[in-house]
Amino acid sequence: MIPHAIAEGWLLLCQRGAVSLVLALMLAVPISVAGIGLTVRHWLAPMVGLSGQSSTVAILLHPQLDEQQRQRWIADEIAAHPEWSISEVSNDDLATRLGRWFPYLDELVAGGEASLPPMIEIVTVDPESVAILEGQSEVLAVGPRSSIRQALSRASRRLAWGMGLLSMILLAGAVLLAAVWVHLELFRHADEITIMRLVGATERTIRGPFLVAVAIPGAMAAALSVVGTIAASAGLSRLTSDLGLSPINVPTTVLVMQAVAGLVLPVVAAVITLARHATDELEG
Amino acid sequence: MIQFDVRGCFERSHHRATSCGASQRRLSVIRLRGISKEYDRRKILRNLDLQVDSGEFVFLTGPSGAGKTTLLRLLYAVERPTDGEVWVAGRRVDELSRARLPLLRRKIGVIFQDFKLLKRKTVLENITFVLRIHGIAPREAQRRALQVLKRLGLQHRQAALPDTLSGGEQQRVAIARALAYQPRLILADEPTGNLDADLASELLSLLCDINYQGATVLVATHDHAILESIPARTLVLHQGRVHYDGMWPP
Repeated sequence: MIPHAIAEGWLLLCQRGAVSLVLALMLAVPISVAGIGLTVRHWLAPMVGLSGQSSTVAILLHPQLDEQQRQRWIADEIAAHPEWSISEVSNDDLATRLGRWFPYLDELVAGGEASLPPMIEIVTVDPESVAILEGQSEVLAVGPRSSIRQALSRASRRLAWGMGLLSMILLAGAVLLAAVWVHLELFRHADEITIMRLVGATERTIRGPFLVAVAIPGAMAAALSVVGTIAASAGLSRLTSDLGLSPINVPTTVLVMQAVAGLVLPVVAAVITLARHATDELEG
Repeated sequence: MIQFDVRGCFERSHHRATSCGASQRRLSVIRLRGISKEYDRRKILRNLDLQVDSGEFVFLTGPSGAGKTTLLRLLYAVERPTDGEVWVAGRRVDELSRARLPLLRRKIGVIFQDFKLLKRKTVLENITFVLRIHGIAPREAQRRALQVLKRLGLQHRQAALPDTLSGGEQQRVAIARALAYQPRLILADEPTGNLDADLASELLSLLCDINYQGATVLVATHDHAILESIPARTLVLHQGRVHYDGMWPP
């Protein structure tokens, strides 16, 4: 009964061309958004992992340390951590730097330079490693250990969450539309379906046309989302190359996932709706 | 009284039945045991027992609301009984799973009172569709459909949609659909209701022919003219019970 399903499914589709097109677009947009999000995240991942960018961590030393003790402590730390670049903040810059690194010490800064504790800055590719100083008696406070890598990672994570959430909401809407569409078509063809059941048609024969009618917009959505993601990535790639960054390539796995999502999601929605309808019909 | 030229039906059927020999057991195609059916506490059928053997031609009659249509609906498993057992073609219908229902219905040709034709399909497609469901190849389905349409004098209307046909023509298409796949059991619910006397006579003659070829035929009707024109086993339903079971006229 496959030719029957295709012929009848195509007929259903033609009768509801506008809805089919809207369904295809509603599916294609979130799948494209998800695909672009995954592509950008995929592009950011190596940059996050292999950034090689240094960042600075500020350290406030105990104000009761005299000059000699302070220099000894700095020398010890340089010896212990050769990968760190340690420098003392001059008195001229101290107020500004304190305001930047320790904004909660505003009152102290306002009190005058004499009361300000000495500060050093450590430049390192691994700012987390500076946390080791926190327990030392010479150290009053360790400043924020943010890094470009962390910032990128955070941005990448937020991008993934944001786009993922947006895609899910839009996709849920599209899948709901597919289910509602099938539901309405089932009502429209209720008499026909009853007759088909009475003359011995199996549920497979009855459901076939509806599945075909939903699978075709699904296939269109899959194709549109693949093309959309490739086009959007090409556009973004032009921007990144202008900034001297590597080009954005869409991973094959993302394209495969988009094609599968486009085809499978509406069909699953239709299968569930049809199964529920059959249960209602036969048990009702 | 309308006279139908279908006497041969009984004679042929009777001859075949008796020629089987008294000692030879005939298989029951329909067997109902203690069937009751209620709708909203209103009893339609009451503890009904019935057996129809293979090759029998049986009329089911009774006043409106006697339970004729309900009985037929139980046989093709659109309804389940409140109580009792329904056996059709050796299968217990009331316990049949949803997946097996189509297989049962493919053994039964049902002629519905309201035709139940697919409105978007042509006359020919209505018949080929059912044949395709039965797994018959498209070309063979078309050949058989045309054959049965020719037999019912509808060949010239094969491309018409059901809504453009008269009541009698629609009835004949419904009959053609039920006969196309040569079922072992034919259930007809008021099949002559929309036909004039000549067409009704033709239809009964056709059902008799099919019965003579071996199919069991159960016709639900309240048309006494039909009952009186064909001597056949007749079941009279009254208030959900079999009031009379025997040859008609009594």
